[in-house]
Amino acid sequence: MKVTPITTIKTIVDTVEHAGAGVKLFSLVDPDRWELPPFRPCAHIDLHLPDGLVRTYSLCNDPADNNRYLIAVKREPAGRGGSARLHDHVKAGDRIGVSLPRGGLMLDADVSRFVFVAGGIGVTPFLSAASWLKRTGGADFTLHLVARGAPPLSRLLAPLQRSGHLVLHDTSTAARPEIAALIGRPSRKTAIACCGPASMIDDFEQASRDWPEACVHIERFVPPVLPADPDARPYTLALSRSNLETRVDPGQTMLAALLGLGIDIPASCCGGICGACKVDWLEGRPVHRDRVLSPAERARSLMVCVAGSDGDRLVLDL
Amino acid sequence: MLDTLHDPSSRQSPVALSWTGVVRYLHITPRAFLPMRAMPELRLVEGKGIEGDRYMIGREEGFYSHKPEEGRQVTLFELETLVALKRDANIELGPEEHRRNVTVEGVPLTHLVGRQFWLGEALLEATRLSIPCRHIEDITGKAIFDPLINRSGLNCRILQGGTVRVGDAVRNVR
Repeated sequence: MKVTPITTIKTIVDTVEHAGAGVKLFSLVDPDRWELPPFRPCAHIDLHLPDGLVRTYSLCNDPADNNRYLIAVKREPAGRGGSARLHDHVKAGDRIGVSLPRGGLMLDADVSRFVFVAGGIGVTPFLSAASWLKRTGGADFTLHLVARGAPPLSRLLAPLQRSGHLVLHDTSTAARPEIAALIGRPSRKTAIACCGPASMIDDFEQASRDWPEACVHIERFVPPVLPADPDARPYTLALSRSNLETRVDPGQTMLAALLGLGIDIPASCCGGICGACKVDWLEGRPVHRDRVLSPAERARSLMVCVAGSDGDRLVLDL
Repeated sequence: MLDTLHDPSSRQSPVALSWTGVVRYLHITPRAFLPMRAMPELRLVEGKGIEGDRYMIGREEGFYSHKPEEGRQVTLFELETLVALKRDANIELGPEEHRRNVTVEGVPLTHLVGRQFWLGEALLEATRLSIPCRHIEDITGKAIFDPLINRSGLNCRILQGGTVRVGDAVRNVR
């Protein structure tokens, strides 16, 4: 029997639920209701949709709830097509391949308080964190949700509202709050996190510039736009195990060069934030432009979607 | 010297005949990437694999199922390796994380390639040593590839099926 490699976790859509204006909640489960791979609070997965669409969504359920992956999707008519595909065509019983969960909060035992700042549907990653923190009771937290009018996912937010953990900021009736006022003064015992539109992320980055780096966590919907590198030069990309070489031209990504060689590299955000296309490097001087690898990880790995080379030749472990 | 090593008749009192081990943990999973689930017993099917496991021949739902291997019907792992990982590399690895089916104690797995032995009611033939893979690092999030080189377990063919339970003896064929 001819068998093709299995590259994703097989799930089926168990339920689809309307969860506010333009928002649907999808519950994905194993076909035999087997446990799914574990994840950290604020983690995300890639959904592999038909026609090669790969889209990343935050997991909304408690990490202890390991029999399903719960994702909330806001339909973005002007988006890249993933949310429209999910809203218009995906129904209960459909099969969807998903990636292993990635990312999420690194939970430091010294942190005694979390402040989450979310804009609209950007609340999704903090729902898993809030459930986790409420259940474990290890640290206090406040979730600030900035939204115009009624917030999405009201059913999931209701327990947080009742417990006093949720602060709603309705910008249809009041001015948008100052991020600095929400997060307070820098503290090593407090972790702060933000997810929302680009303008909110920019404000959050500005407001948190004096905070310890380890205490700041940002979840992005859209990869940041990378500035063009005027000094970019072509370089040779060599693959040690495949015994292949190719030239990467200025402006071309390493990922595009690899795909051009016929190398099947999983990629999703293509902006250095999701972590899907991590590859180990062996020789050369990589230029890391991602927002996902730690300094220690960069000593061994790079993200081919955004990384470059500071030398004439870079060797990958492929 | 090497000629002598390759001639079984020249070996004196093979060490492999002197051991008796025990089954400590049993695990299966139905599909690639999914967590391994602890089981009190497994049903081994002659020439096929383990009922419910992803590498059962005909099921083909394992991460490496696209690379068929008749001698990969059941896989074993040494409990002693989990102890060594903690001792030598300060890595906590649970018996559900190494992704082999049977965790045994007191069984010199690396000595058994080409030999037959009893695992509970089942008779196995060891086909080759298992090789670690980066896939397991993706799943566990732990840097265990290098520490598992040369002690990543044993692949076996099922010569005679039967039930294997936690606590069963693992015995050499005498």
